Amino acid sequence: MTKEDFIHLVRDELDLPLGVDDLSADFDHVVSWDSMHMLRLVAAVERETGSRVPVGKLLADRSLAAIYERISAA
Amino acid sequence: MTTVSSPADRETRKSPLESLRALRADGTLAENYPSVAPLLAAMVSGGADADFRRAGNLLAQLDRQAVLTARPDTETAVVALTGHSTIGGVRAPLTAEFARHGVLVEDRLGDFDAYLRDLRDPASALHAPDVDLALWILDPQTLLDEMGTPWQADDLVRTAERKLAQIESLATAFTGNATAALVLNTVPLPRSVTHQLIDHESRARAGIAWRDFNSGLLRLALGNPRIHVIDLDPVVASGVPLDEPRMAAYAKANLGDDLLARYAREVAHLSRMLRGRTKKVLVVDADNTLWDGILGDDGPDGIAAATTFRGEAFGNFQRVVKQIGTQGILLAVSSKNDHEPVVQVLKDHPDMVLREADFARVNANWQPKDANLLDIAEKLNLGVDSFVFADDSPFECGLVADSLPQVAVVRLDEEPALHIEKLLADGWFDTARLTDEDRARAALYRTESERAELLENAGSMEEYLEGLGVRVKLAEAGAGDIDRVAQLSLRTNQFNLTTVRLQPADVTARVDDPDHLVLAIRSGDRFGDNGVVGAVFARRSGDELHVDNMLLSCRVFARGIEQTAVASLLAHAAATGARAVLASYRPTAKNKNVREFWPSMGFTPTATADDELHFRHDLENLPAVPTHILLDSTLEGTAS
Repeated sequence: MTKEDFIHLVRDELDLPLGVDDLSADFDHVVSWDSMHMLRLVAAVERETGSRVPVGKLLADRSLAAIYERISAA
Repeated sequence: MTTVSSPADRETRKSPLESLRALRADGTLAENYPSVAPLLAAMVSGGADADFRRAGNLLAQLDRQAVLTARPDTETAVVALTGHSTIGGVRAPLTAEFARHGVLVEDRLGDFDAYLRDLRDPASALHAPDVDLALWILDPQTLLDEMGTPWQADDLVRTAERKLAQIESLATAFTGNATAALVLNTVPLPRSVTHQLIDHESRARAGIAWRDFNSGLLRLALGNPRIHVIDLDPVVASGVPLDEPRMAAYAKANLGDDLLARYAREVAHLSRMLRGRTKKVLVVDADNTLWDGILGDDGPDGIAAATTFRGEAFGNFQRVVKQIGTQGILLAVSSKNDHEPVVQVLKDHPDMVLREADFARVNANWQPKDANLLDIAEKLNLGVDSFVFADDSPFECGLVADSLPQVAVVRLDEEPALHIEKLLADGWFDTARLTDEDRARAALYRTESERAELLENAGSMEEYLEGLGVRVKLAEAGAGDIDRVAQLSLRTNQFNLTTVRLQPADVTARVDDPDHLVLAIRSGDRFGDNGVVGAVFARRSGDELHVDNMLLSCRVFARGIEQTAVASLLAHAAATGARAVLASYRPTAKNKNVREFWPSMGFTPTATADDELHFRHDLENLPAVPTHILLDSTLEGTAS
């Protein structure tokens, strides 16, 4: 999954108006983000890629970039 | 901030979701709110579940106040939520499901796991007087968290009993203290619970205890009309997972997003039902909807609704349509065919489950289907917004959806084995309770064609009414009339003078109050008995009688029944010492035809406030009962 695909997915699935800059921003700086967003994002990534994402580890990550790194490494 | 454009934006023909996003991007979503419902309906009937989910996320961020400012007429609802686990996932689907019915919902989510406080504290958000629906979402942990570790089947038996008793007492107290309808749900039994017990005997006992808990919840709704229980077992049985184990473990979301989305759909239909917006008519296509094949091409011998693999699937669909028709929903056919061959098939084709007599109208012709739906609506004297239309043709479905957005469209496809599931996916016909009138409705409408024939052969309206032999029976509503009177109050739109909607409990309260008069109007004629067709709600105040509302089913307009009821009411008022009868008319989009009703009965206008018209009758010149009516009244003081 490319970085751009990932941003599309975040935007489409969670309806967050994301810019490229927001990828590296801490969650607290991204508008109206909560932990459910994270879990929904994981569900969406799994639907898209067909493979399982290690959710437990992701919960500690504080930025979308870090999540993307883990997802693309998985 | 740089935003990234989605590849879909570059395509020329927009999907409904893209249209919705375009409105949001233009900043015109609030003012275009009326176009949201048809876009959402198109997503659902087109099977675009993912788009619908995404639309919910989008709409959940829409500023309600901006919509109300731009579109002050938008219908609104307030839903308060409470529960034991993370239930935020239901908000976006609730927003979308209500918006699909044109309703702008405000959801008020309580604190996490605060249900005991929310239910007990009369100052909680759940008790606020403007709440329409209070959703108390139950999940497996509601029970499981009250058991220790390790646990045995007996612990579950006791916990389930205790919890049910607690829910019953909290729910009953809530309906006494708050005005909202309370919505509970059954809790599907997780396999991860039963299989913690390794012996079959304990597993069986745990399974029984769990089902007893759910049965107890359902029984609660039977005993209290203000409590509604959404049964999630059939939803889970249809293949929707109970939860997503990681969401449950990490976010305490004990009911999965997909299940909450289906729950939201049921809630929106429940809200429709409580507002009396239940659909009344099912219009079905014929070729490849009721039977396999094209009658015009294949001939009657070439179509099938039995004997072949596909034919049997169509036959099963017909059985379900018939089943719906026996519960008060009028059935009609709209088919592009010559009329005679379709009627012939319904008369004598051996495969058919549905027969000509099952349909209130058979419109088989070559006119566009939107025109046919309007024609059927006119003939049945019902609004087209009470119609559900099912067709296998994407073209016809699209045409009807575009031209008549108020019609619910069920888009069938080339797979007849899925017709039933698609027809029943939405609770369009949901109703609280069936009345005798519902069961007899199809037959009542069938006699309409015989009446129409009499009218055609009569020289004048007077001659027709004389020939019809209308009987009217007026009596104070009794316990057996409550459901039907409430139903009339909820469903009647045209002859509804103030459009005050009353639930069965409200009708009961008025029937039991000695200052109130609730009158049930029954009618019949030479073609049959119509049952309870109308009601009058009035109350005594000093030496005046106030008519709060009067209703009459659209089936029986203009036969003198309404004049008879009012003449009798006025005579009754005069005979029991009233000096005047006061009445009012509150205009809605649908009751314009009765604006002049009170003046036509000798009432004089007294005031106009907020476009509500007020009238008064001083009881000096009492109107007479029309001569063609045979009146049977148990009211004190007989009208002449």
